[in-house]
Amino acid sequence: MINFDEEIEKFQPSLEIEQAEDVITNNDLIDATDIIKDLLKEKRINSNN
Amino acid sequence: MICPNCESNVSEKRKRCERCGTDLQIYKKIYRSSNLYYNNGLARAKVRDLSGAVIALRKSLELNKFNTNARNLLGLVYYEMGETVAALSEWVISRHFQPVDNEANEYINRVQSNLTKLDSLNQAIKRYNTALNYAKQKSDDLAIIQLKKVVTLNPNFIRAYQLLALLLMKSGEKERARRYLQRAVRIDVNNTTTLRYLKELEEANAAGKDVEASNETDTGSRASIMPLSSYREDKPNIMAFVNLVIGVLIGIAVTAVLIIPTIKKNQTVDDKQDIDISYSIAQLEEKERQVKSLLGEIEELEQTNEQLRAKLDSIVIPEDKTIYYTPLFNAANAYMTEMTKTERNRDYGMLADMLSSIDESKLDKEAAVKLLAQMKEATYPKAARQYYKSGYSYYSDGKYNEALVDLKKAMDYDPGDVDAVYFLARSYHRMDDKDNAAVYYSIVVTDFPDSSRASDAARYLSQVQQQ
Repeated sequence: MINFDEEIEKFQPSLEIEQAEDVITNNDLIDATDIIKDLLKEKRINSNN
Repeated sequence: MICPNCESNVSEKRKRCERCGTDLQIYKKIYRSSNLYYNNGLARAKVRDLSGAVIALRKSLELNKFNTNARNLLGLVYYEMGETVAALSEWVISRHFQPVDNEANEYINRVQSNLTKLDSLNQAIKRYNTALNYAKQKSDDLAIIQLKKVVTLNPNFIRAYQLLALLLMKSGEKERARRYLQRAVRIDVNNTTTLRYLKELEEANAAGKDVEASNETDTGSRASIMPLSSYREDKPNIMAFVNLVIGVLIGIAVTAVLIIPTIKKNQTVDDKQDIDISYSIAQLEEKERQVKSLLGEIEELEQTNEQLRAKLDSIVIPEDKTIYYTPLFNAANAYMTEMTKTERNRDYGMLADMLSSIDESKLDKEAAVKLLAQMKEATYPKAARQYYKSGYSYYSDGKYNEALVDLKKAMDYDPGDVDAVYFLARSYHRMDDKDNAAVYYSIVVTDFPDSSRASDAARYLSQVQQQ
């Protein structure tokens, strides 16, 4: 049986078009390639030390 | 492929970057996985499993953010689900990573070119947010009204359908809730929230049916234990007979109300046609009389019109004299501006040109005429001097055409300036225009006999006259 109040709380407001710029600016654009690059870089620095 | 470390182009077959030596195998694996997820997302999108497609495409982008195809498709899927802002964001990011040869450009242009649609989508979002607030404040009726408008404005807004269905379920309108959920399912077939709500409705429905079924079973069992003596013959179905009678009555009523009056009317018209001929002739005569009287009225009105037009033509509209004062005001304004400058920097020539262009005869105010005269008095001698200097300078440089223009102005603004007249004559003489040279030499000789230029002018005059 659904608890209606709990269910309504799960709904989030939708982003308005005026907020699109913020969404784009704050978008997390780190992918697996970036993470691997960072790891390899760290590894290289550690090995040099 | 592009090396993620140094961003140089590397052959697909290479295991290491030729430029920076980075091991590319792991990156190749990541890109392959990203493409696998993209293919998965595409397959799901094709069968309208939009929620599943979103998950797969997000995974694809988590592995390789430069996967433009995945990002563009994610945008499309969002757009189809009514998530306009999320869609636009993905396309803008896609364009950022790949500015040329990118379908995201086309998508963005299409959305932006239809401003009406964009506005209605934004309105839908705003109303959805308002409705959500109402729902959280337990104003379910207001929320339902808003959400109905939202799904009209954006018929693909999955979240709006879900919230609307949820509120309808809450208020006990299960059938309507089911209809909205089915519309949501047609857009996104595998949305877990939509399916969960539908399942809830089915369970509630099944429970309701169970109750009805148990009631029916009880009734059936009770019926089965009724004594045999309670047998009754079925009543004859009198409803069919009643319906037949009603049908016949309606038929009679239609005949009485619609058909008979029309027939009667037609008959009456035929009868009247004969009787009314004499009446029509009388009417025609009456109309003719009216036409004649109206024609008379028209003639009278035309005469009145001509008289009025003649009067109108005779009226002389007073001239708008303010336009004649505008050049004076402009000149006065320029004069005051020039006076704020130092003597050396004042452009008296420009002022004199402005003042000379004013038509004094059009000025009917004494003060204006006086002002014009004062300004001319203060300006003309100095303007003449300035023009003489520039004219003489042109003359010295051998630019006789330019010299003529300035020297003539110098002579106009100060007719007593013998130098200007003399060098006008000299300029014409140098240009071999003997006739004009003779005219101006004559003026010097005649009008300024005591000046220092007179003797030279006389000598040159005799020269040009001899030639």
